[in-house]
Amino acid sequence: MAMEQKAAPSSAPISLVQEIAALWGECLGGREVGAEDDFFALGGNSLTGIKIIERVSQDYGVQLSVRDFYLAGTPTRIAELIEQGRAGT
Amino acid sequence: MRLTPGPARGPDLDDVDLFDLDLYTGGDPHPVWDVMRRQAPLHHQVLPDGREFWSVTRYDDVCRVLGDHREFTSERGTVPTHLGTDDVAAGVLLTSTDPPRHTEVRRPLGVKLTARAVKSWEDSVRRTIAAFLEPALDGEPFDLAERALLLPAMVTGPLLGIPEKDWAELVQLTAMVTAPSDPHFLEGSEAATLAIAHHELVSYVRDWVRARRRTGFEDDSLLHHLMNVRPGGAALSDEEIALDGYSILLGANVTTPHTVSGTVHALIERPEQFDKAQADPTLIPNLVEEGLRWTSAACNFMRYAVDDVEIAGGTVPARGAVVAWIGSANRDASRFPDPHTFDLTRANAKRHVAFGFGPHFCIGAPLARLTLRVFFEELLQRFGSIDLAGEPQHLRSYFIAGMTHLPISAQKRRTP
Repeated sequence: MAMEQKAAPSSAPISLVQEIAALWGECLGGREVGAEDDFFALGGNSLTGIKIIERVSQDYGVQLSVRDFYLAGTPTRIAELIEQGRAGT
Repeated sequence: MRLTPGPARGPDLDDVDLFDLDLYTGGDPHPVWDVMRRQAPLHHQVLPDGREFWSVTRYDDVCRVLGDHREFTSERGTVPTHLGTDDVAAGVLLTSTDPPRHTEVRRPLGVKLTARAVKSWEDSVRRTIAAFLEPALDGEPFDLAERALLLPAMVTGPLLGIPEKDWAELVQLTAMVTAPSDPHFLEGSEAATLAIAHHELVSYVRDWVRARRRTGFEDDSLLHHLMNVRPGGAALSDEEIALDGYSILLGANVTTPHTVSGTVHALIERPEQFDKAQADPTLIPNLVEEGLRWTSAACNFMRYAVDDVEIAGGTVPARGAVVAWIGSANRDASRFPDPHTFDLTRANAKRHVAFGFGPHFCIGAPLARLTLRVFFEELLQRFGSIDLAGEPQHLRSYFIAGMTHLPISAQKRRTP
């Protein structure tokens, strides 16, 4: 339940947000992705999502929930979910 | 959407918006399609975001679009929800694959689903349906549409190899795919709802297969069968198994409940048809066919024109999207006289295209027919009469014509 209504500024480090944006760019066929870009506006779909969630699990040791991932929508918010996952909340 | 059309208001074809979800939730599409078949058998619509599609509504044109993969390909997607975005699963997912690969994969899957093969399931289907109907027999309001969502999982779960504990979650997910904007199923946005459902369903099958590989457990289930088939001499890839498994789950879950509800609703509105079926159970197989025609739960499928193509007195340009409206084809008066009359003795009811037409004809049709026949045999044997116990509510979808609520109250039959 944690993150839905959280207001900016983001609690996640900028470096993590940039890493996630780069990961998205890679999984979306090598395009530039900004911290506040919307996953679906970028052409993201469930097959992209499956890849990204697997990579986040491997690279950061955090298993994102499928619902949280798609409802989050931007690299910034995904980075926040990873931070929360690492903190064990 | 209403299955019994109201008075025709002569809709202006320039204003017709076939993607307007309100048309299906609270409106009346049949008078619109009636006018389209007469006046604009090839109809062109541009959406506010610039996406465009052509519609065919006549029986013969619908069959041609669905049946000829050389003119109308499935490999860029077949569901209007994804209009304008090429299918990421093209050539892998069976429904988004053209012959010859489609034929190669479909044939070995189909052997488990022939009428002869599914006949061995009849007793277990009958027990399941008897248990399903039991709670309705006390005369209290029973929301048939809501409960029927679970019926296919109850019937096909054992056949597919899916444990009962997973049914409710899978039914919710498949419903999200068919009506991502319906408030019953929406999560966040429409796009998020679709992605969550696709992701969870594909992952479910993938994990199912991985667990089977790990344990080496084998059974006669359809999903296990997917792991063993060797179309063209090679096993299916894990991605193909996951996507085809997803497709089978979807096909099993999302249409049959609406044919059940819509046909029961038709019988409630027409007690004389109910009495006729009860008096002569040999009419039940044809009642099922008329119910399939009447409800046309899979309301349409989409194809893309390969080249410029002449159809229905016009031209669809190369790469144009064509939506074949099954719900309309099944009410085409040139094929079905008095098409808006529900008649369980209709001579050619079986010529409906509710299961589609051509290479992608529903692979589960024999099981669906068996399930529906047994459902109405058991229903008519148990219930003396059925009444509405509240307002029916329709599914918010232009892809699946169905109901979310159909409260009924049933009286037990006295003389069986």
